[in-house]
Amino acid sequence: MADLSFVFDAVGRIFPFDFMQARFMQQALVGLVLLAPMCAAMGVQVVNFRMAFFSDAISHSAFAGVALGLIMSTDVRLTMTGLALLVGLAITAVGRRGSLSTDTVIGVFFSAMVAFGLAVVSRDRLVARDMQRFLYGDILTISEAEIAWLAALFLVLMAFQAIGYNHMLYAGLNRSLASAHRIRVRLYQYVFAGLLSLVVIFSVWAVGVFLVTAMLIVPAASARNFARSAGAMFWWALVVALTSAVAGLFVSVQPWARTATGATVVLVACAWFVLSALVVLMRRGRAA
Amino acid sequence: MNDQPAAIVFDNVSVTMDGVRILESVNATVPKGSTTAIIGPNGAGKTTLLLALLGQIPHGGTIRLLDGGSPGGRPRIGYVPQHLDFDRGTPVTVMESMVMGLQRMPLWFGTARSFRQKARAVLAEVRVDQLADRQLGVLSGGELQRVLLALAIEQDPDILILDEPASGVDVAGEDLLCELLENLHRRRGFTQVMVNHDMSNVLAHASHVICLNRRVIASGPVTTTLTDETLARTFGIHLGLVDVSTCRINPRRKA
Repeated sequence: MADLSFVFDAVGRIFPFDFMQARFMQQALVGLVLLAPMCAAMGVQVVNFRMAFFSDAISHSAFAGVALGLIMSTDVRLTMTGLALLVGLAITAVGRRGSLSTDTVIGVFFSAMVAFGLAVVSRDRLVARDMQRFLYGDILTISEAEIAWLAALFLVLMAFQAIGYNHMLYAGLNRSLASAHRIRVRLYQYVFAGLLSLVVIFSVWAVGVFLVTAMLIVPAASARNFARSAGAMFWWALVVALTSAVAGLFVSVQPWARTATGATVVLVACAWFVLSALVVLMRRGRAA
Repeated sequence: MNDQPAAIVFDNVSVTMDGVRILESVNATVPKGSTTAIIGPNGAGKTTLLLALLGQIPHGGTIRLLDGGSPGGRPRIGYVPQHLDFDRGTPVTVMESMVMGLQRMPLWFGTARSFRQKARAVLAEVRVDQLADRQLGVLSGGELQRVLLALAIEQDPDILILDEPASGVDVAGEDLLCELLENLHRRRGFTQVMVNHDMSNVLAHASHVICLNRRVIASGPVTTTLTDETLARTFGIHLGLVDVSTCRINPRRKA
């Protein structure tokens, strides 16, 4: 694995605060700065495709992923990632082919994943404690290897976004229309679902099961209010996600705050959303 | 009309969804360069036939598209859906919607001038070029319908497929849409297939008609096919909704 210490050292120099001189803080910041843009970019399409519930189902598959890892006595990160990918693609396939509505399909998967996880975990109290890590997330313990994986996912995902952003916007507007006009809707749907599953499960480690959807939805929803074009929506989502991630991390470690980092990041993003809603109100007031 | 080569041939097309047979052994031909209207009562399977034609739902039988622009190539299709079921809060401008199917470079970096010029020319053809910088969500029904028409025309289609093009559009908007379609059809020479429930519109603009009620009741040139008897067989007990003497569905009674 590549040695990333020069990156962490640079972070320490860029933010010359005392609290940023600890290596775990530098690693947490790099982790968040990689994760936030991925959530922002994917969030734009999650909002356009109305897939908030989908990402909820994937994040909750973390329960089953941990349970599966315990049963198979393997690294739970491996089983969590594998299962998330499987569930994401399965929901997409069943949703495309079946006669059930998408939210019903997702609801069934969602329930099965949570129930399986809880059933296995309820047999063992020690595991239940381990599970808490995934409920609230723990970005401050992110390892160098995990950051390297995040960086790899970041490159793949941004390449996909650069190639597919316009066409996914088309598909988000109307699938039949996009498909009739030679956009490869099915291909995009599957690749998007697969990558989204990976982003969601990586985010579970950072901000916890409860707050993953917030990481995707809140920056994109704020961007939707701020932006006046689809191109600008991407940049606004990026600004909101990145500033929330950095500010959230900084605030969470202050002695007067001492809050969970994931939750603090989401709270800052929510403040952005309130501001964006005010901007919309002001625009309406001016138009009236 | 019958001597014209076919653009689309429906051969024994059937569609079953959730165990319900929606279309049964549909056999019909759409002549090349024609304006073909598919008419029938609600639930007759008109939109289903269009979706089968677009390859978006599984069907039995075969649908042959023979109107290829290049030899052996599949014909290019332009599609105007009945409704655009989209989130009106999504900040997509008309120009972005016109460019997003053409441009590889992501819209984050703006729109390239060459695509903008092409898009503006097509928008001007359907008289919405002044709306290029507006957001899709703020357009009226008629304006949105014309932008959808521009999106379809942008494909430089061999076949233009329209599903109830005038639904959700006021009378003035409908007249404008008809006029635009007529001009575009004359200038570009595509084959036009539309689902339409407005008989006066069909009589005024269509050259060919397919009367559908789960199966094909009749099909052929409008003048010889749209007889009282065909209409009665197509619309069945709903015939009361159709004033055959003026051949126009009474909009008030339709509600």
